[in-house]
Amino acid sequence: MMQISTPFMPEKGVIRSIVPMAQDNYLFEFKTDTDRLAACKPGQFVELWVPGVGECPISVCSGRVTESIQLLVRRAGRVTNALFQMSEGDWAGLRGPYGHGFPVERYKGQNLCMVAGGLGIAPIRSLWQYVLDHRQDFGKVILIYGMRHSDEMLFREELKLLLHRGDIQVFLAADDATVCELPPFAMQVGRVTDMIRQAAIDHDFQVAICGPPVMYKYVIEELKAKHVTDQNIWLSLERQMKCGIGKCGHCFIGGRFTCQAGPVFQLADLKFVPELIECDNGGAQ
Amino acid sequence: MMDHCFVLAKDSFAEFFKSLSKLGRVYAPVKVSYQSYSFRQVESHEQIAFEALRTILPPKKYFYPTQETILRYNDGQIEEHKPEIDFQILFGVHPCDLAGLGIMDTIFTAGPADSHYLTRRQSSLIVGLSCMPDKHCFCQSMGTDCPESGYDLFLTDIGDDYLLEVRTAAGVKAVDPIMPLLRAAGQDDESRYKAFWSNRAQAFTNGFKPDNLRSVMAIEWDNKIWDEMADRCLSCGNCTPVCPTCYCFDLVDIASLNGTSGERRREWDSCQFVGFAQVAGNYNFRPGPVDRLKFWYRHKLHGFDDPFGFQTCVGCGRCTVSCPAGIDDIVSVVQALQATNQAKTKHDAN
Repeated sequence: MMQISTPFMPEKGVIRSIVPMAQDNYLFEFKTDTDRLAACKPGQFVELWVPGVGECPISVCSGRVTESIQLLVRRAGRVTNALFQMSEGDWAGLRGPYGHGFPVERYKGQNLCMVAGGLGIAPIRSLWQYVLDHRQDFGKVILIYGMRHSDEMLFREELKLLLHRGDIQVFLAADDATVCELPPFAMQVGRVTDMIRQAAIDHDFQVAICGPPVMYKYVIEELKAKHVTDQNIWLSLERQMKCGIGKCGHCFIGGRFTCQAGPVFQLADLKFVPELIECDNGGAQ
Repeated sequence: MMDHCFVLAKDSFAEFFKSLSKLGRVYAPVKVSYQSYSFRQVESHEQIAFEALRTILPPKKYFYPTQETILRYNDGQIEEHKPEIDFQILFGVHPCDLAGLGIMDTIFTAGPADSHYLTRRQSSLIVGLSCMPDKHCFCQSMGTDCPESGYDLFLTDIGDDYLLEVRTAAGVKAVDPIMPLLRAAGQDDESRYKAFWSNRAQAFTNGFKPDNLRSVMAIEWDNKIWDEMADRCLSCGNCTPVCPTCYCFDLVDIASLNGTSGERRREWDSCQFVGFAQVAGNYNFRPGPVDRLKFWYRHKLHGFDDPFGFQTCVGCGRCTVSCPAGIDDIVSVVQALQATNQAKTKHDAN
């Protein structure tokens, strides 16, 4: 009889560093003994396990995964709360990488616009890091990042460096802003949709989007106004990806498992899918 | 066609059973209340309820238990928990449930394969048994009324005898000790066998035309019938554990009080529960009973089309009899959807 092992076996990731980001977001760096996660592509995710508490899917936010992997985690539920109690040197379980990330090979040779809202900046960061590592392969590169309040800005230091680079155009917007230490005029009061209107995007751009579910509809409308086609719009969807391997059924959407066919989908592929972005947020904003 | 078929006299069934029980634990349908049956371990052939049609739970529970430990951790060590399996024999599995097991096999074998399910499946022998449909059976409409695969042995009731089909190598091994009890099937047996299946095909009183089922599901996605049913849906989730092809699960941690050890367990979950599609930040992609009910119906009648392009309803009727709100009558729902769809087509033609 063939002996196979369970696909639910995590590997141990020792916390190498914890960097508090804005508000309830920490950047965790894990070190693992194997190179299973080294094949991670921008936009893929891992299942993060806190023993005794549970697992949750977290986007990989580093474009270069070597012996360590970075995860940006917001304290939002049981598992992440428990993770926030941990210290450097503690370990958590990691399974993955899972899913199809952003199709970087298809983006090559083309103009690229990345749109992030709130915590959606995490998978987008893995993309921009990849793109900047292979800058000569891409045309114009634009990054649009919107948040509710400028205090919530994630990767602030890294964004400062990006603002100084000439080969990526960065638009930052917040619904509400206080004084921030970014270069003058870098930050605007407004929404991502306002930034899309300002940016020089036209039909030949590939657009990668990640943000809260409510954001997609408005972003897609703006992109349509810019004549970007459904083939060139890529959405990273959030679902309850419990098993990560297309078995548990939680992340099923429009005939596919988000954990396997996604989480990054081409809009053209999702055109007739009910439940794509409509959802009830329980009255929360 | 009948060269792998033998005849077992019903009088010799006790011997056959005894021989099976030497191989391992035998599970078979047992009458557990006035109108319900359940797969249970049986010690004697007299405990078996041959008349049983649908058991409360389908036989999936022997390969995919309601809860099972996947791994354990202790002091920083993580270890896979391999299930300890004694060889098990499932007796009396009807064609609909065989089809259901076939679908479960496809799901759990698809990469990455599920070791816990497959280990149990590989140390089992499945003995199918023919049946006559009641008013809730509609396997004929779903094309699962004849046994095609997923069994090692299959018994067809042909009067005073059973026609015993031996399908697999494991089946050959299982019948080897009782070969003296069997005789090769002859022409008369073959006609009795054919007569049984043809009578059975005529015996269905419930069903629908399976044509265009998938497109009707898609076209009638916004039919008002869904809202009417959802108004009555209790979101109790009864329809999912009783379904032979519902396999959604949750992975949970059970920590011990010392805080350093515990286990990770898999438990059956239901798409009818409100939190099933909820993500962090309280976003819920299927907030209402109507969204969840349609989701379940879609899985059964349309299927998870991209990864596995088949419908997953096998027509056993379990959901229909176990729904406390009386809305899981798949046959009536399909008939209603088809009727609306046809009315529209006619209207358009005029």
